Amino acid sequence: MRAPDRTTPFLSETRTGGSLVRRLDARAKILGMIGFTMVVVTTPARAVWAFVLYAAVLAFLIGLARLPLRYVLKRALVVVPFVLVVAIFLPFFHKSGAGGYSLGGARVTGEGLLVLWNAGAKAVLGVLSMIVLGSTTTFAEMVSGFERLRAPNVFILIVSFMYRYSFVFVEEALRMQRAMASRNYRARWLWNVPTLGHMLSALFLRSYGRGERVYVAMLSRGYEGTVRLGNGTAFGLAETVFLGTILGLVIAIRVSASLWGAG
Amino acid sequence: MHIPDGFVDVPTAVATGAVSLGVVAYSVRRTSKDLGERTIPLLGVTAAFIFAAQMLNFPVAGGTSGHFLGAMLAVALLGPWAASIVLSVVLVVQALGMADGGITAMGANVFNMGVVAVFVGFGLFYLLKKLLPRTLTGYLISLALASWVSVVLASTAASLELAVSGTVPVGVALPAMVSVHMIIGLGEALITTAVVTAVLAARPDLVNSFDLPIEAARRTAARPGVPATGRTRFWSFVVGALVVAIALAVFISPYASGSPDGLERVAADKGFETAAAQQPVWRFSPLGDYQMPGVGGERIATAVAGLIGTVALFALVLLLGRAFGRRRLVSAPQAAGGRSELPPGRSPDRSSTL
Repeated sequence: MRAPDRTTPFLSETRTGGSLVRRLDARAKILGMIGFTMVVVTTPARAVWAFVLYAAVLAFLIGLARLPLRYVLKRALVVVPFVLVVAIFLPFFHKSGAGGYSLGGARVTGEGLLVLWNAGAKAVLGVLSMIVLGSTTTFAEMVSGFERLRAPNVFILIVSFMYRYSFVFVEEALRMQRAMASRNYRARWLWNVPTLGHMLSALFLRSYGRGERVYVAMLSRGYEGTVRLGNGTAFGLAETVFLGTILGLVIAIRVSASLWGAG
Repeated sequence: MHIPDGFVDVPTAVATGAVSLGVVAYSVRRTSKDLGERTIPLLGVTAAFIFAAQMLNFPVAGGTSGHFLGAMLAVALLGPWAASIVLSVVLVVQALGMADGGITAMGANVFNMGVVAVFVGFGLFYLLKKLLPRTLTGYLISLALASWVSVVLASTAASLELAVSGTVPVGVALPAMVSVHMIIGLGEALITTAVVTAVLAARPDLVNSFDLPIEAARRTAARPGVPATGRTRFWSFVVGALVVAIALAVFISPYASGSPDGLERVAADKGFETAAAQQPVWRFSPLGDYQMPGVGGERIATAVAGLIGTVALFALVLLLGRAFGRRRLVSAPQAAGGRSELPPGRSPDRSSTL
């Protein structure tokens, strides 16, 4: 349920060079942003001001990371189809509740609007926090961060292989798509899908063959089952301050949302 | 189908997360036993392939499109345990790297696509392989049916999770989501079968689930495909899809209708006030609650309603598609000039995604 944007670089390699957030240890960013999202999701929807404060924290982080606003907004569009689905089903909610309005025959209740607000606000905040994480951390840093957070080794290995091979696949796929477009072929109907199937099978076989050669080359150069991903940064004062500030702020907002909920 | 943050509530997220974590952890243990020297790279390649293939939207009708899921492809190539690991890895990378699918909805997403789609699909695949004749055709038919079911079930699970969380009303969302994915599932089945057929012809050693003699895989490679003109292909597609859809509507809908009712009851017990009784949602629908007046027997009535609904929906989609198709054909010459200006790799007709 999404429209991949092939004009942005694959797995967002555009990273703003020297910002503070960019230089932080990946572990601090992983824990901070995942913790942020988890706390946001548990917040009751009626505490609207809490969400405004969360958004302010994120806006500060986006500013600190010096991410271009256009790029952030473009990436955040992933949630739009889902919010639309919820919005379409809104008139079918017949919960009692104050407020609301009627549109022709369909009546939207206040309760229904609250559901939309709840899902929409949390989805947008979640996506933005993952964008902050994903755009300030390179893939290698992310993988080594997870490795140092003691994620299972099998996963780390699969992900690092997947990352290497995915460039082969994506480039091969783009080449094939270009070749198809330049021959004026457009798949528009469901029964054109077998053509895409043949494309995908060619893609798999070609890339698998290339992947095998890459692997044999790795073996012949002394690969022995572990991938060493750089020497990594230390979890120092800056990281502690970053993680402490984010989690402290978010938990403070969350607690006050519970205390003075619908205020 | 990648659920974002906030769409599932905390109990649902925790429950699905716990189940997914357990299944994936067990899969890791199962796979580690037979992790040969080449297994990790093969898993990595398959993960990368599914990652790339999920970016490729395939057309459904007119401008709408769905995207490939890949659960049954991974099962066919790697077996169910490795497949569930591969799909979870893909989902984690999509959530962290591309903000696609929420981090707190990860449990639910892995449950739908890495557990339900993989294991139910595998079970059906295994069963059908036993029931159908042991030929390449039997194998491919089992694979196609299992792929279709895996997509439909994954979307069912997703809409049930959203409904239990109180984000969408179950009575409307479930039929809508499932019927859309019944069509998307056809694309999934076609692609999975095409890819596995090609891999079987070229490298049968890579297809883990293929248990026939190797010669059976090779035979198809020599058989030339029947060249069909656009028109015959169009009508054979229409007839085939209609037959499948009607069969499903008649045989499956009476059983499918049981589960939302159960869920509505749970929702009511939990305090979500489903006021469907006072204000029927389907008031303007002639086939209210999927039942025909005057047709005896609840099961039969539901089946008949399902049949009529399917035919009507099919006719509607076909008419809309033909109408839009005509217009596209007429405007094609002028559009062709502008199209070359598009960045490479960007398909010009992606107007909406499912």
